Amino acid sequence: MASIAAPGLALSVHRSHRRLTPATATTTTAASVPSLTIKSKHPTFPSSLNPKPSSSSPRNNFDILGSKKLQNVIKTTAVIGCGLYALSNGVSNAQLSGNGGGGSSGGSGGGGGGGGGGGGRDSFWSKIFSPAAIAGEEESQEWDSHGLPANIVVQLNKLSGFKKYKVSDIMFLDRRRGSTVGTEDSFFEMVSLRPNGVYTKAQLTKELETLATSGMFEKVDLDAKTNPDGTVGVTISFLESTWQSADRFRCINVGLMPQSKPIEMDPDMTEKEKLEYYRSQEKDYRRRIERSRPCLLPPPVQREILQMLREQGAVSARLLQKIRDRVQQWYHENGYACAQVVNFGNLNTKEVVCEVVEGDITQMVVQFQDKLGNVCEGNTQYPVVRRELPRQLRQGQVFNIEAGKQALRNINSLALFSNIEVNPRPDEKNEGGIIVEIKLKELEQKSAEVSTEWSIVPGRGGRPTLASIQPGGTVSFEHRNLKGLNRSILGSVTTSNFLNPQDDLAFKLEYVHPYLDGVYNSRNRTLKASCFNSRKLSPVFTGGPGVDEVPPIWVDRAGLKANITENFTRQSKFTYGLVMEEITTRDESSHISSRGQRVLPSGGISADGPPTTLSETGIDRMAFLQANITRDNTKFINGTIVGERNVFQVDQGLGIGSKFPFFNRHQLTMTRFVQLKQVEEGVGKAPPPVLVLHGHYGGCVGDLPSYDAFTLGGPYSVRGYNMGEIGAARNILELAAELRIPVRNTHVYAFAEHGNDLGSSKDVKGNPTEVYRRMGHGSSYGVGVKLGLVRAEYAVDHNSGTGAIFFRFGERF
Amino acid sequence: MASQLIREWAGIQQFPAATQSKLLELLGKLKQENVCTLTILVMGKGGVGKSSTVNSIIGERAVAVSAFQSETPRPVMVSRSRAGFTLNIIDTPGLVEGGYVNDQALDLIKKFLLNKTIDVLLYVDRLDAYRVDNLDKQIVKAITESFGKEIWRRGIVVLSHAQLSPPDGLTYDEFTSRRSEALLKIVRMGARIRKQEIQAAAIPVVLVENSGRCNKNESDEKILPSGTAWIPNLVQTITDVVLSGSKGILVDQKLIEGPNPNNRGKVLIPFILAFQYFFVVKRIQKWIKYDIANESSPSWA
Repeated sequence: MASIAAPGLALSVHRSHRRLTPATATTTTAASVPSLTIKSKHPTFPSSLNPKPSSSSPRNNFDILGSKKLQNVIKTTAVIGCGLYALSNGVSNAQLSGNGGGGSSGGSGGGGGGGGGGGGRDSFWSKIFSPAAIAGEEESQEWDSHGLPANIVVQLNKLSGFKKYKVSDIMFLDRRRGSTVGTEDSFFEMVSLRPNGVYTKAQLTKELETLATSGMFEKVDLDAKTNPDGTVGVTISFLESTWQSADRFRCINVGLMPQSKPIEMDPDMTEKEKLEYYRSQEKDYRRRIERSRPCLLPPPVQREILQMLREQGAVSARLLQKIRDRVQQWYHENGYACAQVVNFGNLNTKEVVCEVVEGDITQMVVQFQDKLGNVCEGNTQYPVVRRELPRQLRQGQVFNIEAGKQALRNINSLALFSNIEVNPRPDEKNEGGIIVEIKLKELEQKSAEVSTEWSIVPGRGGRPTLASIQPGGTVSFEHRNLKGLNRSILGSVTTSNFLNPQDDLAFKLEYVHPYLDGVYNSRNRTLKASCFNSRKLSPVFTGGPGVDEVPPIWVDRAGLKANITENFTRQSKFTYGLVMEEITTRDESSHISSRGQRVLPSGGISADGPPTTLSETGIDRMAFLQANITRDNTKFINGTIVGERNVFQVDQGLGIGSKFPFFNRHQLTMTRFVQLKQVEEGVGKAPPPVLVLHGHYGGCVGDLPSYDAFTLGGPYSVRGYNMGEIGAARNILELAAELRIPVRNTHVYAFAEHGNDLGSSKDVKGNPTEVYRRMGHGSSYGVGVKLGLVRAEYAVDHNSGTGAIFFRFGERF
Repeated sequence: MASQLIREWAGIQQFPAATQSKLLELLGKLKQENVCTLTILVMGKGGVGKSSTVNSIIGERAVAVSAFQSETPRPVMVSRSRAGFTLNIIDTPGLVEGGYVNDQALDLIKKFLLNKTIDVLLYVDRLDAYRVDNLDKQIVKAITESFGKEIWRRGIVVLSHAQLSPPDGLTYDEFTSRRSEALLKIVRMGARIRKQEIQAAAIPVVLVENSGRCNKNESDEKILPSGTAWIPNLVQTITDVVLSGSKGILVDQKLIEGPNPNNRGKVLIPFILAFQYFFVVKRIQKWIKYDIANESSPSWA
């Protein structure tokens, strides 16, 4: 019977840029405001027909909102407020578009509220949207004088139907207490009339009817008192409904259940028939309770309400209103945005039954939209979206706004859609049901991009000049969402000189194939195959303290890689695959060099340093298996990371390649972020102090070319040293501890680190550690402060005993 | 160089008769033990008198000697034969350059010695240097690392410039014993000879004086201030060391390059991999499962 009007709450994400440029992409969420108005269409009975509740059958059920009725009538006007939602994942813009009211389901028997009435009913809602709520009633500022002598009390039906009355003030008169009620009273919120509003007689009559049928009052009247200036003062006098005291409380979910239909009571019924009628009603209600599902309301809240009932004694309309507010408050605080109390039944029976429509999801619809917002057929396959949806959003569950947000985040992380909306909509066919609509706008499948750059350097006279006329830049293309299964091919080529690209061509071609076990399988494995190259400066060929420049060695790698990643959780994963690569070592002038160079004590340079490759030719080819397992249960507590991270990686040579490399190169990293103090979680609360303990062991058995040796020293190894300044070894151990103390909205930290080659430097061919006069072990300590993304730290290197200030990007651990 | 013609040991005739007879007696003793060739490696810092010692033993100016500069840029082997007995002495360049051990020189020596057997190592230092420092230790260490610890069982510490007046308050014997003790300590440290092994592998110390102004005794033998004729003494010590029962050091490719660290433990790799899979990967997977089970789900879930 209840009709749910007004658009529901909508969550949406808008992606304004393509995935290729994530740095500049903005994600906006427009969370439009949920406003569900449930209105009933029950016929109203003339009050004279209704016996006084307290004197009627003690086992009757009374609807608080339709008092003085014998039927179980559901009639509530509840507006659900869901406030403002902003997604945590990079939402820059949240919109709130209110749509209060609109539930003008003018009841046949006059039970329906006025058009704009719905909007102003709920206190919470009306506070936010009071302008919108009143707007409908103040369409015209013109009003008519009452044309009556001043200071006389006029009954509502005596007012003229053709005049627009201006209401100067509204007074509530509690007849039982004999006093007026303040504006803070919960009853006051039920009235949509506002002082200085202009109303016709019809509107006022409707208002009175609404109040009379709300069930809160046994009797309610509306009088107008004429003022000398032509306006009228409205006095609403009422008698609050009360029932027997109750000592039990029960909350049931009546969503999706047909509302009990009142059987017309024949006014000519005999006493016996009446008794029969009551009994059948009672039976119906009991059956209804039995059929209903248990509700989500937790026992503590239920006990709290029971306490309220016991303290109060008699059950009054105000109390029921309070209970309703408390119950709804719990639901809304816990994200059940569509839940509402629709009825209180079983009154006068020592038990109060609170009927809640929790917002059961009857259907979940995924809809694709084209650029203009028209519904279209999407390229993405439905199961791809479906597997991202939390179970709580499936059919049969109770709609929860948090689950909606989670769905939004999950779908957003697919990076397939430019706009995502999760929108609960009332189910027209299924009373109290919610249809979750997910509207998706797909991103362009193919994209290509060319970016060029010219280097500008200061020229003669300080004027900027082009370093050269050769153009450099990146050409990239991407083909996303192949077959609608989120498979993609991505390629890019970067060079600093397109005219002569063989100098420093960097390329990457990658194919990503998610849902390896089938899109319906919950196992989340992704296959990735790529073809890559890279160029890095080898930290193995670095001098120790006090050693002059060591001629650098560049390590170029090019090859193929195929791996499978299995995600266990968002952060924990297991990757395994095959790598085939060619490693070329070059000197400064890009010539292939098979041995490192060293500076002789006499100042000369000799090219008989440690061998750079296993084959001793400067070019190695090898194939090996690579596996990496990461366990990461870190989480953020007030912006500070806490938890544990363990990574184990092993490269297993297969004996395929130059000199048949057979090796087992392994490393284990253990990092713990120990929370030193329990803190309250919440926005703006101080983060806890954290102790970070970190250990890293690396080792290799078998063939170890120098480019695969473990190096010690550097911002991610032992701070305070240069990359590789401590040594290059076969087995290494690094230990670090850092204490982070929050200060304002950042933190300061102190750290101590140590790196040791475990005497294994000599086990690297050519002993690069000794050749370049490095210690093989070293410690450092220091202090630092985090300034946004930048870490500024002062670190003292223990080998030379000198300190220096460093600025680093990103985190050490 | 190994193919160079082995010349007759003519220089032996220049020694005084007493020395000659002594040397021949010792050579005979070696031949009795079936030792027909003797290869002596002479090593030490630059300018300590390695080449001079070689010349003194041979009895002729076989290698160039200069007082002020290194005349030995690369190792030189001097071979002399006498009555079916061949004596090879390898003179080497100084091992120190610029305050560090000269790896390059050491590499040269190693390559030169490839496929040769070293019977005796003469580690030469000066007697009149008063102190020992870390550099000495580094040199000993470098030698040990190159040829293995075993070489010190065939090692003799030779202290040159033995004809000196000891500093005030010390007798010559006291001074030499203290100097040699200090040097031996360093050698033991550099060679990582443990205390228990000292007795078994005592490294003999021999004093030499290569100068032409060296005092001589009545039979015209060069003698030390203590009165010992040093050449027969040196050869005597060499003979003793050779006959002490230990084996000569064969320098082969493996010794030069050291044990190939890339080959060490290769056989174990399958076992290591299995261990990693069952005890590390599985363990971490278990932790992840534990994490998933303990994940605090949001209130609505």
